[in-house]
Amino acid sequence: MNDNMIVIGKIIAPQGVRGEVRVMPLTDFPERFRELKSAQLDDGTNLPIESVRYHQQFVLLKFRDMNDRNAIEHLRGKLIQIEHKDLVPLPTGHYYIFDIVGLEVFTEEDEYLGKVTDVLETGSNDVYIVEQKDKKPLLIPALKTVVLKINIPDGKMIVKLQEVWESDAD
Amino acid sequence: MSRSIKKGPYVHPSVMKKIDAMNAAGDKKVIKTWSRSSTILPNFVGHTVAVHDGRKHVPVYITEDMVGHKLGEFAPTRTYKGHSGSERSTSLR
Repeated sequence: MNDNMIVIGKIIAPQGVRGEVRVMPLTDFPERFRELKSAQLDDGTNLPIESVRYHQQFVLLKFRDMNDRNAIEHLRGKLIQIEHKDLVPLPTGHYYIFDIVGLEVFTEEDEYLGKVTDVLETGSNDVYIVEQKDKKPLLIPALKTVVLKINIPDGKMIVKLQEVWESDAD
Repeated sequence: MSRSIKKGPYVHPSVMKKIDAMNAAGDKKVIKTWSRSSTILPNFVGHTVAVHDGRKHVPVYITEDMVGHKLGEFAPTRTYKGHSGSERSTSLR
């Protein structure tokens, strides 16, 4: 996959017999599919979009000149991508996960903790998983009181670690 | 069958003890717990509880709208490795 390309959806399966595909959106902005003129797939093909509609959690796309189920069967599992420049601009304080992954994490005292390897969504706050030098994961909650600064151009994150209650195991 | 109202919500005594102690002292420390079945009570709000997901302790900040839910609901036990480089965002709470 080209580093400059961002995935926004995955074609799961054909939908019905009229040539529609069921797409699982992999974006925080599923409404952006309405503005797409064509779908750039991960194998390099570019398919012009004829119609877009939404059904449950899926987006149903119909490509031009693909009018039956057999014509789209080979698209199963393909990823739909956009170029980096077409990303939806985020409000201040919001960051794309691919920008956060790879950041180097330091304490306020400039002590190196490790590198962000993943972002975990918990239903409450997000959690940044940092791989330390000894390969052990350090989990940092994405809270303003903990993550003091995120500097994406410099690839740096400054955190203030919270004190853990050290006592008997419960 | 739902839990009897007479008993009140279940909270592990150790978690309750630590929360009460921190509220009394005005402290904010992370509490590590394995008790996923403990109910979140209003006096938990504003604290961070590290809930065990079977492998590690996931730090969860408790907010008002989480009251009445169980701690385990906020520490998923199955990790879905999504597609890297997708248009997903994160923000600080």
